[in-house]
Amino acid sequence: MSDQEKKIEIGDGAAIPDPEDKGLISAWWIALVGTVSLLIILPLLKPDPYARILSFVPDGILVTFKVTIASISLALVIGLLTGLGRLSKNRFINLIASLYVEIVRGVPLLVQLFYIYFALGRIVRVPDIVAAVIAMAFCYGAYMGEVFRAGIKSIDHGQTEASLSLGFNRRQTMAYVVLPQAWRTILPPVGNEFIALLKDTSLVSILAVADILRRGREYASESFNYFETYTMIALIYLLITLVLSRLIANMEHRLSHYERR
Amino acid sequence: MNAADPIIKIRHINKYFGSFKALDDVSLDVAVGEKVVVLGPSGSGKSTLLRTINRLETISSGSIIVDGHDLYDPDEDINRIRMELGMVFQNFNLFRHKTVLENLTLAPIKLKKMDRGMAEEMAYELLDKVGIRDRANHYPIQLSGGQQQRVAIARALAMEPKIMLFDEPTSALDPEMIGEVLEVMITLAREGMTMVVVTHEMGFAREVADQVVFMDGGAIVEEASPDSFFDHPVHARTRLFLDQIL
Ligand SMILES: Nc1ncnc2c1ncn2[C@@H]1O[C@H](COP(=O)(O)OP(=O)(O)OP(=O)(O)O)[C@@H](O)[C@H]1O
Ligand SMILES: [Mg+2]
Repeated sequence: MSDQEKKIEIGDGAAIPDPEDKGLISAWWIALVGTVSLLIILPLLKPDPYARILSFVPDGILVTFKVTIASISLALVIGLLTGLGRLSKNRFINLIASLYVEIVRGVPLLVQLFYIYFALGRIVRVPDIVAAVIAMAFCYGAYMGEVFRAGIKSIDHGQTEASLSLGFNRRQTMAYVVLPQAWRTILPPVGNEFIALLKDTSLVSILAVADILRRGREYASESFNYFETYTMIALIYLLITLVLSRLIANMEHRLSHYERR
Repeated sequence: MNAADPIIKIRHINKYFGSFKALDDVSLDVAVGEKVVVLGPSGSGKSTLLRTINRLETISSGSIIVDGHDLYDPDEDINRIRMELGMVFQNFNLFRHKTVLENLTLAPIKLKKMDRGMAEEMAYELLDKVGIRDRANHYPIQLSGGQQQRVAIARALAMEPKIMLFDEPTSALDPEMIGEVLEVMITLAREGMTMVVVTHEMGFAREVADQVVFMDGGAIVEEASPDSFFDHPVHARTRLFLDQIL
């Protein structure tokens, strides 16, 4: 493992566990066992309100997943285009992509959400959840763009030259040679962004989207069990991110097969 | 184009990197089946010249005609022309995410629309030729430098090019692996391939070259047959270079 061991550090996602770390006593395991235990024990010991809260939020979990998956998919597409745009020799395309990244980076996510939601509402009538997805993807697309740019740049130019010399054009070279290799460098930060995005979808609860947090707030405001509700909400988010981070770590490990001797 | 016409015609090319002149009024003809070895000190423009032949490097002025195609004619498709030109790099540049076999079949399948079975059959033949059929399913990182370079040669040959360009193919190798790569190149030369080779291997130049080109300061200083080049160098700079290297 030498020059290929280039990592991109962007954003503030959850820690991705090291799949080589087979030790049972790791922070990840402790957190997982603790979270699962609490999610089981609390409703058993005190069904009212814990079991009731648990039965109230599943539709919210589904909404959170829907928003997350749709946003990340769209953000990946925007990110790829932005990354390519930022690397483009065409001044105009480059400028547009850079401008987009600068703007998104400089405005808080919550403000962007409000802005796009209401700006969009003035032009077209779309369901709240669609507006939320577009807003999330718009923001995360910029971060993804930086990840793609760094990933593509990390691939040795010799790979591109070899491909061109065989007769591939630039687009084919990107598709067959550069991106499949860049993906390995890109995946860890994309995984981080994915988890960060999942957590940030809690912001869309403000936009009348009934995600986990909003369902929790609805329950809490009816029952006044604020502490208990937010305990369960936090545990649910934690369980999801813990499982996801492990899945991503495994995927990353599998993808690195050709780097192992 | 008649048979006696050179397959590569380089006419008065100049190349600038910013204000630095890397190629200075270079002209060179390569006939079909001819082996040209390019020698010269570091920084003399050997790689730059070689890379202009498949337009990995663009020129500032002059003209290059390869197999009847003007590299700078906007009506020509550079990607088609490049299929006629195999290139071998100092650092092999094998596709790291592909197995040896896939390295050989990728371009024929995608560019020539060859079906997979045929492409693999041809790939195995080429791997036999360079002596590493048993590594077909390994990834490049699992091979030695010499093996990687032989695969790289096979990958270029898989497109059935008319011309092969080599840029210091043995310079990144451990000494004990240089021989195995040169052997493959000598075989290729015997089979009649047109070759332009940048190298520091004087033995190879003497044995294989039809024409030795000596560059210095971006210009071709001397052009001769290997015998007269090594035994009776005309130019003072050539003699100085040979004294240092031999
Ligand atoms: N992309 C580039 N930008 C600026 N200068 C360059 C570039 N590529 C090459 N040069 C310069 O052009 C000159 C010729 O370079 P070239 O690589 O052709 O030399 P060379 O004869 O192949 O040398 P070596 O034996 O070290 O490989 C050198 O002075 C080099 O610094
Ligand atoms: Mg060179």
